[in-house]
Amino acid sequence: MESSTDLPKFAVLQLSGCSGCEVSLLNSEEWINNFQLVYMPLVVTSNKIPNGVEVLLVTGGVRTDEDIHNLRKGRSRARKLIAVGTCALSGGVAQFKKNHIARESFLKASHRLRMPDMLPNAYPIDKFVEVDLYLPGCPPTPQLFMTALKDPEHAQIAPIVCQECGRKKLNDMRPKSITGSRSGVVLPDICLVNQGYVCLGTSTRGGCGALCTRPGHACVGCRGPANPYLNKEPKFVLDNLRRVFSRMTDIPAEEIDAALASPWLSLFLGQFTDYTQETDLPPRTKEKML
Amino acid sequence: MTTLTYPLSRIEGHARVVIDIHDNEVFRADFQAMEMRGFSHYVRGVPAEQITVIVPRICGVCSTAHQVASVKALEDVFGVVPPPLAEDIREVLLLGQLIQNQATSLFIFTMPDRVNASSLFELSRSEAGKARAFSLAQMALRIRKIGTDLISLAGGQFIHPIKTVIGGVTSGIPRVKADQLILTIEELLPVATDLLDIYWDLSMQMVDRIGSWGDDEPTHYLASTEANNYRLNSRRLRVMKPDGSEAPSFDPHEFEAYLQITESEYSYAGISSYLGHIMRANSLARVNLAESFGTPLADAYRERFVETFGKPAHAIMFFDLCRGIELVYALEKARQMLSGDLEHGETEIGYTPRDGTGFGLVEAPRGPLIHRYEVENGLIKSADFVIPTVHNMLAIRRALTVVAKRYVSHEGIDAELERAVGRVVRAFDPCIACATK
Repeated sequence: MESSTDLPKFAVLQLSGCSGCEVSLLNSEEWINNFQLVYMPLVVTSNKIPNGVEVLLVTGGVRTDEDIHNLRKGRSRARKLIAVGTCALSGGVAQFKKNHIARESFLKASHRLRMPDMLPNAYPIDKFVEVDLYLPGCPPTPQLFMTALKDPEHAQIAPIVCQECGRKKLNDMRPKSITGSRSGVVLPDICLVNQGYVCLGTSTRGGCGALCTRPGHACVGCRGPANPYLNKEPKFVLDNLRRVFSRMTDIPAEEIDAALASPWLSLFLGQFTDYTQETDLPPRTKEKML
Repeated sequence: MTTLTYPLSRIEGHARVVIDIHDNEVFRADFQAMEMRGFSHYVRGVPAEQITVIVPRICGVCSTAHQVASVKALEDVFGVVPPPLAEDIREVLLLGQLIQNQATSLFIFTMPDRVNASSLFELSRSEAGKARAFSLAQMALRIRKIGTDLISLAGGQFIHPIKTVIGGVTSGIPRVKADQLILTIEELLPVATDLLDIYWDLSMQMVDRIGSWGDDEPTHYLASTEANNYRLNSRRLRVMKPDGSEAPSFDPHEFEAYLQITESEYSYAGISSYLGHIMRANSLARVNLAESFGTPLADAYRERFVETFGKPAHAIMFFDLCRGIELVYALEKARQMLSGDLEHGETEIGYTPRDGTGFGLVEAPRGPLIHRYEVENGLIKSADFVIPTVHNMLAIRRALTVVAKRYVSHEGIDAELERAVGRVVRAFDPCIACATK
């Protein structure tokens, strides 16, 4: 820490988000010795991003015109820009999608004097600037932050959550309906799909260590679609999920469709796949996705 | 008219302070939230049982409090009473959040102000930091991590936790894991008290230098912890009057009769009052309303605080010291609770959804947090989030006016004003994401 001024400059720009990504980053304290933190308003008093930043992390979605301005300024001062978290990648939970009632209610309530104007929607940052690396997750785990900062090129990311989960998929355990949160006990060691939970782990990129599914919580897909579904229409990832459920369960297709469309899943699943509906965005290649 | 604008750092979210001065006289000092999260708008129409996954995302710093409050509000709608073991595990979860939050506020947000450093990392490299036998930054982050480890253990993951569900919690805490964490707490509790002592000394030195603990006009205090039971998984709201006497307590479902919440023209955050009076929530409110913590180290610090500063104590920078006392309490209490059996017994009971209106209360680090949901045909018809930071808005504004008047005189604007403004706002530890729900 003595010679910290020789270390590469590192900055964190927070747009419109919840600070959860920053909180997660603070849990991976190893960067203290590897970088010189020059800008991160949550932690350091600093009014602007200096020139010559080696790595700029951007969290949060683009919600206001001020966000666009700060994002462009940040991009011009950093060699490498990493988009961090669901909001930066998709607009996040603040994205209204097709919920017009919510959108109108929000926009009606959002007029203030001398305050940043709200945009009609929350946008992913690559709508406005070039992104060098994407780090999805809500929030990404501290381990993923370290990988992103240290050696993302050689990272070995599990293709899907199942690979890190360790729960066994059984052939002879076929639920006939979706298990709600009401039924209580989750059996240890057995796949959550076999137990009738709408778990998205089969189609969601890994790297999170399956930290939800291992203790028995169905994956909501916060890391976004696995590589085969990047830059593809929503129907590809949805079709894959439908196939998984018809292969492993006897749950009626309509019931699965309704569940996949429900808000807590569309929170992440819908928003990542909706990304592909934005026509003016650059493609996200798997090489750029951590 | 001269308008000074100070963007703020070392707080959660985007906010600024604006001070209007004319002829060396302070006209107005305001604290403005610059972003709008807007969750109360976009949870409308969401199936009620799914809201507990969505609303933690209001704020990554306070996600635990939001998750537990949302589950309690739905339990109120559905008429479910979770088993006692689940209530205890939720308490452990909220203690984890208190440790994480108070350690962050103390060491990352406000400790640098004690020596005019720009960050904890700079402070660690300063003379004050180098004089220590250990790295302040690394130790502070290790203390903070006990909080996140507790949240992971009791909540499943440390941001946007998942284990609290309607009817209870999904699982108990295995003995082995509890024992591991007890060992860590035992190892780091003396470090935490050392850090608090350093913080306390640096605060006294700072006040010697600047000559004030800040706005100390008596005011109302709001908390939902009890006099002799600092339970954060709380049930009723309590109010202390400026003279130290207590006003009648009230249930969360009665909040509108006592707390008046209005919007602001110049900020995306609302403003609330207690029956028209300025009030304060957060650590100082809880400590003023407490008779004891019930854990030895925290009680010793509390006695020292009361002997030195009185009860009730009113100056705003006492909030910071009280956060330190609470940090010690939460570590002691977590150790105590983890020593009990949190593994065996009923953690969850079944329920039948129904329509209606429900209220969920928890004592979040910043004060009492209430979620109110109206459920119709299984969907959220309306949602209201009563946010602790909003309760402090009038008090923050008054404290900013006090400090602005202190540093603006016939000689002009003192350069100390910018730092002083930061100290005032950080004393309240506001959370802008929550305040603009």
